[in-house]
Amino acid sequence: MNEKDRLEILKDILFTEDREDIDKIANRIELLEQAYNSREKFASRVDPIVEEQLDKFTKSIPHTLGPTITATLKKEIQNHKDEVVDALYPVLGKMVKKYVAQEIKVLSEKIDNQLSFISAWKRKLRSFFGGSKEKELLLDDIGGEKIEQVMLIERGSGLLKASFSKTETIDEEMISGMLTAIKTFVEDAFNQKNQELELIEYELYNIHIQSFVNYYVAVVISGAYSLKAKDKVQDIIFDFYHNFMEMNLDLIYTSRHLEQPVDTISSKLIQKKLAEYFGNAKI
Amino acid sequence: MQKSKKIVILGHFGVGKTSLIQRFVKDSFSDKYKVTIGVHITKKIVEVNENDSISLIIWDLEGTDEVQMIRQAYLLGTHGVVFVFDVSRPSTFQNLNSDLKIVAEKTPDTPLIIVGNKIDLVIQDELQSLLKDNNIEANYLTSAKTGDAVNEMFTHLATLLNDLT
Ligand SMILES: Nc1nc2c(ncn2[C@@H]2O[C@H](COP(=O)(O)OP(=O)(O)O)[C@@H](O)[C@H]2O)c(=O)[nH]1
Ligand SMILES: [Mg+2]
Repeated sequence: MNEKDRLEILKDILFTEDREDIDKIANRIELLEQAYNSREKFASRVDPIVEEQLDKFTKSIPHTLGPTITATLKKEIQNHKDEVVDALYPVLGKMVKKYVAQEIKVLSEKIDNQLSFISAWKRKLRSFFGGSKEKELLLDDIGGEKIEQVMLIERGSGLLKASFSKTETIDEEMISGMLTAIKTFVEDAFNQKNQELELIEYELYNIHIQSFVNYYVAVVISGAYSLKAKDKVQDIIFDFYHNFMEMNLDLIYTSRHLEQPVDTISSKLIQKKLAEYFGNAKI
Repeated sequence: MQKSKKIVILGHFGVGKTSLIQRFVKDSFSDKYKVTIGVHITKKIVEVNENDSISLIIWDLEGTDEVQMIRQAYLLGTHGVVFVFDVSRPSTFQNLNSDLKIVAEKTPDTPLIIVGNKIDLVIQDELQSLLKDNNIEANYLTSAKTGDAVNEMFTHLATLLNDLT
């Protein structure tokens, strides 16, 4: 036995137990390594499958979930028809109006072109006989119309929801009731369900009426009410309704017999908005 | 803004609808009969208690002998209905219960107050048996002429409508 062998024997005696432990640990590590590798192998095989399924699922939503979603939406819309119409009406109304206005503009421009030389002559003649300057005559054509008062009125009941007025006026609650009665009578008497009263001429005022589903807006205008001004007023009403009212459908809900009352936006806020939209508008 | 409610007054010609409103709003009475044409609208702010008031927008409709003929459009969005008959003219209450049924159908889920008017023209004892014989249950018996129970009737309705909100 040489030195080396002896040392080995000694080692054997001293370290047997350790050796076994080390072997065990090594075994374990090997097992873990195997498991890890096979998992990676597994993953590389499975991941594409999951991805593909997910992709398929996403693509199939229109066919599988789509009908359910559409049906739900349809039902919601059907149950809240008035609210939907109220929300869409200003947008549609403006679109249709813009289109018609454009067509009329084109038409009237055509006529204007043909007639402009005549009216130019007429003006010349007038200034010749009347002694006033041509420019002043042109200014004559521009009306002095002004928005005096705006009221947001509940249809049917005729109750005033909010109003804006430049000057103190007689009882607005009474006016809105009377306007509603007149409107109701006219619409009912002529029995045209789809025809709405649009304008009431009253002494020096024109009262422009624009109906929506649950409310209508009445704008009192002083001065000659030109087509151009009418166009502007309509735009302002549609803008007001579109930007403000339909965002507050809860306002509409209150007029219904709801089981639980909904918090409504305050008349004060609507009043403020009316002033904003109509107060300084140039028509 | 003031809370407000729309009420309509219904009933046959000449039962005193306009007179009742006149009594309530202006505390006056006229013997002259002015037929209401179309609709007349008046407003009265009613105190329902010490710190609460409500404004009644009263729609006085032209009378019709046929309840069925009332313009439906006038009834839209109404919060309360007053149905008036004339205790001195049987033709205005002979069909009261069927009239009321029609009114209730036209204004579903709306408080309805039944008023027998012109009680100053009949004898109290006869009135009771008259109502009983005709199977009539009136909520109020009023006289626009003397003012009997007119305020009470309108204030009751106002309170009722105020409590509903
Ligand atoms: N004696 C009496 N007459 C009344 C009373 N109420 C109304 N009248 C009269 O009855 C008529 C019709 O009244 P009116 O209010 O115009 O009835 P309406 O058609 O229902 O509006 C008028 O001549 C009134 O003066 C009442 O309580 N007593
Ligand atoms: Mg009358």
